[in-house]
Amino acid sequence: MFKVQCPGLKDKLGFLKNQRKIWIFLFCFFLSFFYLSPLTLYPLLSHCYTSEWKQAIGKWVWEFPRDHGSHPEYKTEWWYFTGNLLDEKGKRYGYQLTFFRHSLKKSPEKTDKNQKSPWTVDDIYLGHFAITDIQNKKFWFTERTSRRGPGLAYAATDRMDIRLLNWNAIMKKNNIFIKARHQDMEIDFELTPIKNIVLHGADGLSMKGERQGQASYYYSLTRLETKGIIKTPLSNKAFKVKGLSWFDHEFGSNQLSPQQEGWDWFSLHLSDGRDLMIYILRKKDGTVEDASSGTLVEKDGSSRHLIRPFINIQILDRWQSTRSKGIYPNGWRIQIPSAQIDLTIYPLLAEQELITDSSTRIIYWEGAVEGKGTSKNRPITATGYIELTGYAGSLGGIF
Amino acid sequence: MNTSGLIIKTSDLWKKYNIDEDGFALRGVNLEVKSGEILAIFGKSGSGKTTLLNLIAGLDKPTKGKIEIDGNDIEAIGERGRTELRRKKIGFVFQFFNLLPTLTALENVLFSLELIGNPDVKLALDALSSVGLSNKENRYPFELSGGEQQRVAIARAIVKKPSIILADEPTGNLDTATGEQVLNLLVSQCIQSGATLIMVSHAMNTCSFATRIINMVDGLLVEDRSSGDCGL
Amino acid sequence: MKIVIKAFLRYLLRRRSLSILQLSGIACGVAAVIGMAISARSALYSFNEAIEFLRGKATHHIERPAGSMDEVTLMEIKDDPAVDFFSPVIDRRIRAGDGEVVRILGIDPFLDSAIRPEIVRTISKGQSPQENNALYDFLYEENAVLIDNNMAGQLGISSGNTINTNKGAVKVVGTFSNPSGEPLIIMDIGNAQKIFESTGKIDRIDLVLNDETGFRNRWDKGFKIESNKQRRENLTALLRAFKLNLQALSLLALFVGVFLIYNTAMFAVVSRRKDAGIMRGIGVRRSEVFFAFTTEIMLFGIAGGAIGSVFGYILSRILIDILGNTISDLYFFLRPIPLPWSWWNLIAGIALGCGASLLGGITPMIDLVKTEPVSALRGRIYQRTSKNTVKRLSVFGLMIISIGVFFLIFTSAHVYIGFAGTFIFLIGISLTTGLVLMGSIPLLRRFFSYLSGTIGKIAISNIWLNTNRTSIAVAAFMIALSMAIGLSSLIHSFRHSLIWWMNSQLRGDIYISTRSDVDVPLELYEELKNMPGIGGIDVYRNIQITFRDKPVHLTAIDSSVLQRYTNFSWLKGGSENWDPVKKGSVIISESFSRRFRIKEGDKVSIESAKGIVSLPVTGIFHDYSTEHGVIMMDRSTYIDLFNDRTINSLGIFIDVKGEQRQKIIEEVENMAHARGLPTSRQRQFHDRILAVFDNTFAITRSMRTLAIIVAFFGIAGALMTLFVERQQEFGIYRALGFSTKQVAVITLLEGIGMGLISFLMSIFTGSAIAYILIKVINLESFNWTIFFYFSLNPYITAFTTAILASIGASLYPLWKVYRLYPQMQIREE
Repeated sequence: MFKVQCPGLKDKLGFLKNQRKIWIFLFCFFLSFFYLSPLTLYPLLSHCYTSEWKQAIGKWVWEFPRDHGSHPEYKTEWWYFTGNLLDEKGKRYGYQLTFFRHSLKKSPEKTDKNQKSPWTVDDIYLGHFAITDIQNKKFWFTERTSRRGPGLAYAATDRMDIRLLNWNAIMKKNNIFIKARHQDMEIDFELTPIKNIVLHGADGLSMKGERQGQASYYYSLTRLETKGIIKTPLSNKAFKVKGLSWFDHEFGSNQLSPQQEGWDWFSLHLSDGRDLMIYILRKKDGTVEDASSGTLVEKDGSSRHLIRPFINIQILDRWQSTRSKGIYPNGWRIQIPSAQIDLTIYPLLAEQELITDSSTRIIYWEGAVEGKGTSKNRPITATGYIELTGYAGSLGGIF
Repeated sequence: MNTSGLIIKTSDLWKKYNIDEDGFALRGVNLEVKSGEILAIFGKSGSGKTTLLNLIAGLDKPTKGKIEIDGNDIEAIGERGRTELRRKKIGFVFQFFNLLPTLTALENVLFSLELIGNPDVKLALDALSSVGLSNKENRYPFELSGGEQQRVAIARAIVKKPSIILADEPTGNLDTATGEQVLNLLVSQCIQSGATLIMVSHAMNTCSFATRIINMVDGLLVEDRSSGDCGL
Repeated sequence: MKIVIKAFLRYLLRRRSLSILQLSGIACGVAAVIGMAISARSALYSFNEAIEFLRGKATHHIERPAGSMDEVTLMEIKDDPAVDFFSPVIDRRIRAGDGEVVRILGIDPFLDSAIRPEIVRTISKGQSPQENNALYDFLYEENAVLIDNNMAGQLGISSGNTINTNKGAVKVVGTFSNPSGEPLIIMDIGNAQKIFESTGKIDRIDLVLNDETGFRNRWDKGFKIESNKQRRENLTALLRAFKLNLQALSLLALFVGVFLIYNTAMFAVVSRRKDAGIMRGIGVRRSEVFFAFTTEIMLFGIAGGAIGSVFGYILSRILIDILGNTISDLYFFLRPIPLPWSWWNLIAGIALGCGASLLGGITPMIDLVKTEPVSALRGRIYQRTSKNTVKRLSVFGLMIISIGVFFLIFTSAHVYIGFAGTFIFLIGISLTTGLVLMGSIPLLRRFFSYLSGTIGKIAISNIWLNTNRTSIAVAAFMIALSMAIGLSSLIHSFRHSLIWWMNSQLRGDIYISTRSDVDVPLELYEELKNMPGIGGIDVYRNIQITFRDKPVHLTAIDSSVLQRYTNFSWLKGGSENWDPVKKGSVIISESFSRRFRIKEGDKVSIESAKGIVSLPVTGIFHDYSTEHGVIMMDRSTYIDLFNDRTINSLGIFIDVKGEQRQKIIEEVENMAHARGLPTSRQRQFHDRILAVFDNTFAITRSMRTLAIIVAFFGIAGALMTLFVERQQEFGIYRALGFSTKQVAVITLLEGIGMGLISFLMSIFTGSAIAYILIKVINLESFNWTIFFYFSLNPYITAFTTAILASIGASLYPLWKVYRLYPQMQIREE
């Protein structure tokens, strides 16, 4: 790996813009909602990292199933599952389950083996779990954090096997099994990839800014057939559901730059078999980061990197949250002429905002969406998930 | 209503000294007093004079017998009734003054008036001046001599113009001259207002003021004459 | 009406010193009750708050019946469907800064945020994100801790400072607010494991369960699962005896307080009989007199009550400290938070002052309005002492005494019955005071006339003649003295029994780590075992378990060593009782046996790590270490059942004598100190136990003092009343040619006479109370036998108090005599 000079305190490394990455960073810093105490890890990231943390620079030699696992030499990593589901009666649901690994330490030096106890904190593991019940217009969310401890949380380095208390994501043969339970919320799914792994950016190196290092390594399984059971606080017991999910995995060691305000991230399943990922990073001055990009995956699994000039997004509507007073976009027209894509997308439920009361006050919106339009001149429908950050308080420079 | 003109009547009045003991202070006293009489009761110590006075005033209860004031049995009218009597009808002059020590002379006299619902300061002052204590109304009892205290006591008794005045040894603690003065005062007041006066006394000069004299010996009335010497 | 009241109130101003005496009497009475009530409430409230704060949002917790549990249990717990939240906890004691023992919790802040969010929030909030190093420090610095605000304030430290503890220096990285009285230190669980050398182990897991039954089904075997309710009940049960003590003392305070106020009010009424008589003579209605008196009493009640409530509040702050120390010594460390001033205190004080005053004033007032004005005027008390009345009262009194005894017999049903019985018994005795007076007069008369001639005789006769006044004072004082004698005897006997017990059971030459916060490492024990000259080592382990839903102690010892070196006091048999213990039987303490009605030969079922086991009881021994009861087993049995090798303390018995012995003791001490373990030689150990004992009874002693103060007022009041009422007698004395000095002596002798009679009566009553306390109340509330050790001390103290108090009580009356006597005259013909 290349060596990067340790930046002065003023000259903080920018943060690679990739929807998940920043989101996860934010993610790290709050514990809230319900009984969770707002521990903020943001301040930890404000420490200047030394050159010891590996940066996302240069080519990564991908090897699977090894790379489905954890990369502890990088500071931050996450595994991200979202999906749209239908129950046996045709009612619609959305879910999101994320596992995040982050190191609190200033450098990757591991503690002396002799001093080590299972409770030594090398990395901490966080999780986000949300369910949307579209019919009943309900949205539930919870998160948790844990250190590795004596078997409390864990991420294997040679395959996908992530556990965070009683939430886990394990890959067996080619299927991924994810499970999470929190009080009345529960999911237990089997995900089967329909397409191959898609590397984003340049062979998996996804830039988030101008400078070298403002990047992460990023791949997805864009389309996974999903089946299993779900339980919501409104249902008396668990019931069967089926649908499509999206899986992201990213790792890197970077920091968000102070000029950036937030980002909009889109993952969409088109009814003609195509999948679309777009990442738009917004700057405080109102402009959009040049490194913003996207990926289009054809039905056969082949993928194409989309650079910013090719992507045209219009905000159609806005929604104000009564709780945070943030004003979020509430409808989009996405046009990618070079791919013959023209979509109009709306959230399935406006109120899918996550409010945390930590001292950093990170508030963002993450929810199930649907839309319709044309793809290759044929009418199609689309479902997916969109993430919007930085609309209720800027994130740039805070962490 | 009293048709006979008797203002006080006792019938077969007996009084025991003590519950445990057998001695009797009074042994069947029958007394009739007409309105306007000035009565002097004489007797040796232990003869029962004070006891009789206390019983008439309702301050004590007889062991046996009846007492009627203005034709009303004072037993029947209850303690409330007796209190009303003492408040309005009867003025009592104690032997040992019995002024309230924490009130001034004026206040002591005014007390009487307050009780009948007519707290007229002028009346009180007049009463005090009539007993010759005009300048001493703001003195406390302990600041007055024995005679002065006695005079305040009298003022207190007469100021409410009662129909009966009972005086227990009114001059008992006074020198002769002052005693004469006090007796004069009392009697003239009574004659003026037409009140009945019963005096219990040792002093000889009392007799000259009385219209009727009674002797008591060992709890019995032994002599009853209209005037003359005390004849002790 | 106005003028009547004016006359009354003027009187108060004129007789300033008397009014002040009255006011202080009421204030003292109210202060005693309020002070006791507030401090008791504070202590218990703080106790509850401490429990609540510590438990946070947890609904249950799980632990091993004894000792720590393996942390791998967490892996299964986290997946259990009944668990919504969980947090592993290390719960120990540490000595901080000034030597105070403080609870230290080792937690994982991530998991614990669901259980104790306020504490965890400390690490995250307060500073801006860029500067917040608190979490980082907390997790990564080996000795980082959070402490509570109270402690921070006390030690005068804040974030960044270091505190020295017996486990090394710790660095404070944050402070949290703690509403309870229990000081608390928080450390990261990994670090806590390290400093307590408990790697791989945790003490318990706090849980939020959604399905208790399901969870219990899965986890019951080998674990102890307690719900909050159970835990709270257990802890409260710990304080049961203490609460009882407090309640008894509060009742005593109430009784004492009410009596004082009663007495004061009675005196107020009595001293104005003459004025009342005059007024009635000139036509004031009875109701008006009554009303004026009531107004005066209420005024005193309100003023005295208000002042008393303020003083009571101040008093409670002092008492609270004493109570806190007692709880800390006996149960767990608590610094009760004094309750803030509440206006309810004032209201309660006024209510009490007025209520008790009315109670006291009612009887003389009714008497006043009932009697004929003439007797009031005469200024003499109501009829002279009637022998018949005295006799009738005494008969009534004897009846009451028998009712009291009847109650006492049934104390085993509930200790409250015992309290009631004692109280009734005392009342009964009080009623016979008159008779006692009557009987003792001839003797006393002779004694006093021997002392001071005729004057002495007159003094005694006066006491008899005015029984209505004097007997109340004598009775009250007698009760106070008896309580003092009784309590002192109890304390004395208890102390003696304790010393005897220590000398028979705690005979080690040197003890290591008898304090509850430090355990002895196994290696030290092994080392010492091999040391020459050491005859035997008792390995002591004490845990608290639940038996039939009540907390009891389970103690593991080395039975061979104890058999050889100690002299346990058995209810039956001797040291052969130890033999079956070596093979797995248990012995129980007397408290345990009485409490649960278990005898020799019965079996006790306890929950062990292996499940429920049934152990035969082969002996019962006397024990004062805890009122909850002790089950004692051999260490081998304990290890077998609980798989716990913790050693709480060691008792070392040395065979050799003389210089060698000294050397060995010193060597042991050095070895222990090198490992940071405290040691006590036998003498020190015993002394420490006695210190705790003395501390526990501190509050009882203070109540005793209070009782004496009250009685003092009682006698003073009585003397003053007598003085006021018998002014014409003084006139006679004067006429007869008694000098002021002689009359003063009469008054003084009356006072001393009353004190003496009280004392003589209290010898009997006090001994009776002592017997009741030792043999009945104590037995029923603590379930152990205290052996009666007679001591002359309480009696001598009572005698001295009686004489001194009566002299003291006579001082004001004496002063009055000196001032007023020369002017008194005969008032009656």
